[in-house]
Amino acid sequence: MSVLRPFQASDMFKFNNVNLDIWTETYNIGFYLHYLSRWPDLCCVQEAPTGRMMGYVIGKAEGQGAEWHGHVTAITVAPEYRRLSLARKMMSLLELVSDEIYRGFFVDLYVRCNNLVALELYEGMDYSVYRRVREYYGNLGVGKGGRDEEDAFDMRKPLSRDGARRSVRSNGRDIVVSAHDVS
Amino acid sequence: MSIALDRQIRPIYDSLDTGANKSAIVGCNKLLKKHPKNALVQALKALALVRSQKVEEALALCDEVLEYKPTDDATLNAMMHVLRGLGRHKDMITMYEAAYKKQPANEELGAQTFFANVRANNWKSAQQVASKMYKQFQEDRYLYWSAISTVLQANDPNTAAEMRTLLYKLALRLITSSPASSHVHPDRFHLHLTILRELREFDEAMALLETPNGQNICQTNLACNEIRRDIMRLRGALEDEGRRAEQRILNKNDRNWLEFLSVVDGTFSHLTVSKPSEDAREQCLSKVSNTLALFTKISVQDGKKDRSGLLGLLELESRSRKHGISTDPTRMVQLLKQYFETFGDKACCYEDLKPYVSLEGGDLAAWTEFLKASPPPLSTTENVKRVINTHKLLRYNLSASELTVEAESSRAVLYIEQYLEGLPLGKDLPVTELQHVDDFAILAASVFVNIWKLNGDIKYLYNAVVLLEFALSQSKQAFQMRLMLIRIYRLLGSPSVALEHYRLLGIKQVQNDTLSHFILSRASTFSLAASGDLTLSTECVESSQIYISNSQETSDFVIRAFSGEKYSQIPQFILFENWLDNSLQRDIVKLEYLRMRITHEVISSEVIDLELIELKFVFDRIHHDNRDLEIIPNYQPRDVESFNAQTMMFEKSEGHGWVWSFLKSYIKAFSQASDLDDVVEEKLLVGDRPQAAGPAKTGTLKERLAIREKEELAELTSDELSLISYADALAEWLEPFHDHVRPPASVVLAEAAKQTELKTGMPLKGVDITPPNGHVKKEEDTPPITEAPEDLVKFFENMKARFETVENAESPNEALHVATLTQEAFLLFVIETLRFKSASVVKIHKLGNLVAKFKPIRAIAAGILKDMAGSLEKMSALEGTSEKRRDFVSACMLPSSQMDDDFQMNIAKKVTDSRKKVEEGVAKGLMRLCSTYEQ
Ligand SMILES: CC(C)(COP(=O)(O)OP(=O)(O)OC[C@H]1O[C@@H](n2cnc3c(N)ncnc32)[C@H](O)[C@@H]1OP(=O)(O)O)[C@@H](O)C(=O)NCCC(=O)NCCS
Repeated sequence: MSVLRPFQASDMFKFNNVNLDIWTETYNIGFYLHYLSRWPDLCCVQEAPTGRMMGYVIGKAEGQGAEWHGHVTAITVAPEYRRLSLARKMMSLLELVSDEIYRGFFVDLYVRCNNLVALELYEGMDYSVYRRVREYYGNLGVGKGGRDEEDAFDMRKPLSRDGARRSVRSNGRDIVVSAHDVS
Repeated sequence: MSIALDRQIRPIYDSLDTGANKSAIVGCNKLLKKHPKNALVQALKALALVRSQKVEEALALCDEVLEYKPTDDATLNAMMHVLRGLGRHKDMITMYEAAYKKQPANEELGAQTFFANVRANNWKSAQQVASKMYKQFQEDRYLYWSAISTVLQANDPNTAAEMRTLLYKLALRLITSSPASSHVHPDRFHLHLTILRELREFDEAMALLETPNGQNICQTNLACNEIRRDIMRLRGALEDEGRRAEQRILNKNDRNWLEFLSVVDGTFSHLTVSKPSEDAREQCLSKVSNTLALFTKISVQDGKKDRSGLLGLLELESRSRKHGISTDPTRMVQLLKQYFETFGDKACCYEDLKPYVSLEGGDLAAWTEFLKASPPPLSTTENVKRVINTHKLLRYNLSASELTVEAESSRAVLYIEQYLEGLPLGKDLPVTELQHVDDFAILAASVFVNIWKLNGDIKYLYNAVVLLEFALSQSKQAFQMRLMLIRIYRLLGSPSVALEHYRLLGIKQVQNDTLSHFILSRASTFSLAASGDLTLSTECVESSQIYISNSQETSDFVIRAFSGEKYSQIPQFILFENWLDNSLQRDIVKLEYLRMRITHEVISSEVIDLELIELKFVFDRIHHDNRDLEIIPNYQPRDVESFNAQTMMFEKSEGHGWVWSFLKSYIKAFSQASDLDDVVEEKLLVGDRPQAAGPAKTGTLKERLAIREKEELAELTSDELSLISYADALAEWLEPFHDHVRPPASVVLAEAAKQTELKTGMPLKGVDITPPNGHVKKEEDTPPITEAPEDLVKFFENMKARFETVENAESPNEALHVATLTQEAFLLFVIETLRFKSASVVKIHKLGNLVAKFKPIRAIAAGILKDMAGSLEKMSALEGTSEKRRDFVSACMLPSSQMDDDFQMNIAKKVTDSRKKVEEGVAKGLMRLCSTYEQ
C-alpha cells in the first residue's frame, strides 16, 4: 500500500530516508525547483500511509522532432521499500504522461553500467540499451568501480507514437559515445 | 548608446561574469571619467561594489541611478541585481513601476514590474499590474497571473480573515471572465478548482470535472486528481467516490492506496453522523460485506505482487471495530496472520502492521502466540526478514513487566546471535548494498539503549557502539546505524567521533537544514572555540549556507513558475521558501554559533551591534520546524519512549521555547550594551526589513523581551534555566545605567554619517550630519547606584556546587554543560559591563560606585571557572590512560570471536581520546577567557 502523489517542493524536507542511500544524489534546491517549475506532472512520490516517503521519480520532456521524448532524470526507492513494485509503478506513470500529455516518441534514461538492479528493472519494463556513454558519471567513492561504474547506458523504450519502434536499436550496447556527445 | 561606448562596456560585463569585481570597478571608473553621469556604467559599478561587500559605496551610487528613473533594459537589469544584492525589494518595485509608467506599451517592463512585486510578496500590487497587463496585451496568461496573485493575497497571513472569501470571489470572477475555459490547461484548471474548493462551489466544480477535458486531466494529472478527490469528500459524496475508486481498482488495476481508502470511506459513509440509525447500520453492514468481497478478490488476484488488497482488509476490519459493527471477533488476528504469512519477508511489514497491532487481551495473546511459534531457520534472506519482523512486532507490544534488565539482556543476546548467524548470507553482496541482517544489530543496539535507560549503567552504551560499529563495518551504507552512533557517541561525551560519522553521511544542500541537528544540537557544550579550535563553529557556518542559497535562488523559480504558467507549484514554492527561511533549526544553529563566537572573538561593540541587528530580525520570525526526527529507527515498545527521545542530550529537545529563551537573553544584553536603539537602526538599515511571517507580534520590543512563558522555559535544562534567570537579574540591575549613559540617537547617527562620508566621500542619505548643538549630555541625574542582586554571586556558587556533583559521572557531558554555561554567564557579565570599561564614561556619569561592585562578582566568577578548568584538566588526564580503555573493553559483553579485543580497544581509544580532547579543550578555553576578561 502506497500513496502515489505529486512531488512537492516541501518534499525536500522529507526525502532523507530515500536520499541517504548511496545511489541517490541530493542536488541543490534549484535542481528540484527547476523540474517542478517545468514538468510537475513528470515528478511524483510514493508515500507510506504514515506519511513516510518511500521513493520518487523526477522526469522531463525534451528533444526536437522525432527525438521529442520523456526522460527519467532520477528514480529511487528507499532501501526498506524495495521490491514492492514501487519503481515499476512510478515508471508506468511517467510513461503514461510522456505518452498521453507530452506525446513523446519514447522515454529514455541513463543508468550506471554496474547498477544491475536498475538494469534488471528497466529491461523488465521493455527498455533497451540505445548506446553506452563513456564516463558519464563520477565515481561513487566506494572503491574498485572501474569502467562500469562511470559509464552509463542510455536506455530507451518506444511509446505509442513510435509504433514502428524507430527510436530503439538492437545493437545498442556496442555503440559507444563519449559524454560530451550526449549533453 | 554609442557603439564605441558599447564596446568599452562589454569587458566590464565579462569581468562581472567571471567574478573579477575589482577589474570591473577599475573599468567603470575609467569610463566614468569621460561619462560621469552614465547610468548603466554607474549601475554596473554599484553591482561590482555590492559583490565586493562595499555596501556603503554601492548604496550611494545606487541611489543616484534610481533618481534618473532609468528605462533601458541594460540599466534596469543591472540595477535589479544591485537591489537584490542589497535586499531592497521595495526600491526595485518603485524603479520598475516608474519605467513601466513611462513606457506602458512595453510588455517586458510590465512583466518585470509584476515580478518585482512577486519577489516582495506584494500580492495586491502584483494583481493590479497583472490586470493592467491583461487589458493592454489581451493575453489570458495575465488574467491568470492576476487571479493567482489574488489567491496568494488571500492566503497571506497578514491578510485579515474576513477578506479571504472576498478575495477568492474576486479571483473566481477574474477566471470566469475569460472567454477561454480553464480546462484546456492542467495548471489553469488546477487553479480554478482550488478556488472553487475554497468557496465551496461544489456544483460548479463538478460541472468542470465532468467535462471530457476535465476527466482526462484527472486521469493523468495527480495534482488535479488530488483536488478532485478532496472536493468529492468535502461535498460528502463518499459513496460516489467509493464506487469510482472501485472501478479504477478493478478496471485499471490502480493500486494507489488513496483509491482503497476511498472505497473504505464510501463503505462507512452512512456512519459519519454522530448517532446513526439502525437502518444506517444495516446498510453499512451490507456494504462492508461487499467491500470485503472486493478486497478479498484483489488480494487473491495480486498474491504477493501487491499489498493493497490485504491491507485494505485490515483497514476495513479496523474501521468496523471502531464503529462497533465488526461481526467476527477473530478476524483481526486472522488477517494479521495472513498478512504476515504473505508479506512477512518484506522490510516494510512492521511499518504496515503497526497501526493494527496495538491489541489487548485475547487478541494480543493469540497474535503473540502466533509470532512466537517456531521461527524459521535463518537459512535464506526471506527467513531473515521474517524473523526480524517477528522480533519487531513482538517487541512493539512488550509490557512493562516484560522489560526488566534481565529479559532485555537476553533479547540482546539472541538478536546478536542471530545477527552473526545470518551474516554470511550476504557475504557476496556488493559494498553498495545493505546486509540482510542489519536490523538484528539495530534491534540489539536499541535494547542496549533501553537497558541504559532502565538502570543508568553506561556500559550498555559501550556495547551499543561496539556492536553498531561492527555491523557498520559489514554494511558500509547503513546510514541508520550511523545516525544511532552519532546520538550515542554524543551521549558518551565523544563529540569528535560523532562528527566523523556525521561527515561520512555526506549531508548536502537542504539536508543541512533537516539533519544538522544531529551534530549541532546544544553543540556549544562541546565547542572548543575558546581555545582556538573552530571545528564546530565552522560547521555552523557551513550548514547555514543553505539559507543564503534559498533567499538568493528560490524566488527565481517562483518567477519561472509564473512564466511557465505552473500555477500548481507557486504556492508550494512560496511555502518551501518560507519554511526554510524561517527554519527553527536555522536559528538554533544561529544561537549556537553566537554562543561559540563570543568565546572566540574579542567581545567588542562592533560584534555586539552586528549580532543585535540579526537577532532582532530572528525575533520577528515565526519558526517552522523542519528537523527530520523520523529518520532515526525506532523499535522500542509502544509504552516506552522512542529511541529519539531516549538519546536526546540532557533529555531535552530544543524547540521554539529554547530559541525564544536564549534569544531574549541575548537581545536584552546586546541592546543594553549597544548604542543602536530602534531609531538609529531604522536609519542605518540597508535592505528592507524582513516581512514578519504572520500577524505582527504585539507589544514593544522591551515588553516582548520581558515575557518569560512557562512553556518556553520548560524546554530548558535546569542549568540553562539558572543561566536565564541569572541573565535576567543582571540585565534588570544594569538597565537604568545603560539607558542613562547611552548617547542620544542624533549623536550616534551623526557619528555614523561622518564615518560613511570618510569612507565613500558621499553623505549618508537622510541623516543630518551637523552635530547636535551642545546638549549631548542628558539632563537627568545619574540614577541611584543600587546593590548587585544577590542572585548573581549565588548563581556562580550554585554552579560550582552543581559541578561538584557531576564531575565524577561516567559521561563528562553534565560537567561540560555546567562549565560551559558558567562560562557563558561570565561572558554575559562582560557584555553587560563593557560600556562601563571606559574611564571617561565612568567619570562623566559618576559611576565609580557602580563599577566598584563589578569587581568582586567578576573575581568570584573567575575563581570558580578556574576551579572547573582544573577539574576538567584532571578528568582529561585520566581519560587518556590505558586503564580507562581497559575499563571500556571489560564492560563489553559481545562475542569476542567476531568483535575481538583489538576491535573493541580501537573503539575504546576513539571514545576516550575524544573525551580527553573535549575536556582538555574546554578547560583551556575557560582559562583563556578568565585571563582575557578577569580585569
Ligand atoms: C532501482 C530501484 C529504483 C528499483 O526499485 P524497486 O521499487 O525496488 O523496484 P520494483 O519493486 O518496482 O521492481 C521491479 C522489477 O525490477 C527488478 N528488480 C528490482 N530490484 C531487484 C533486485 N534487487 N534484484 C533483481 N531484480 C530486481 C525485478 O525484475 C522487479 O520485478 P519483480 O519484483 O516482479 O521481480 C531501487 O533499487 C533503487 O532505488 N535503487 C537505488 C537508486 C537507483 O539505482 N536508481 C536508478 C538510477 S538510474
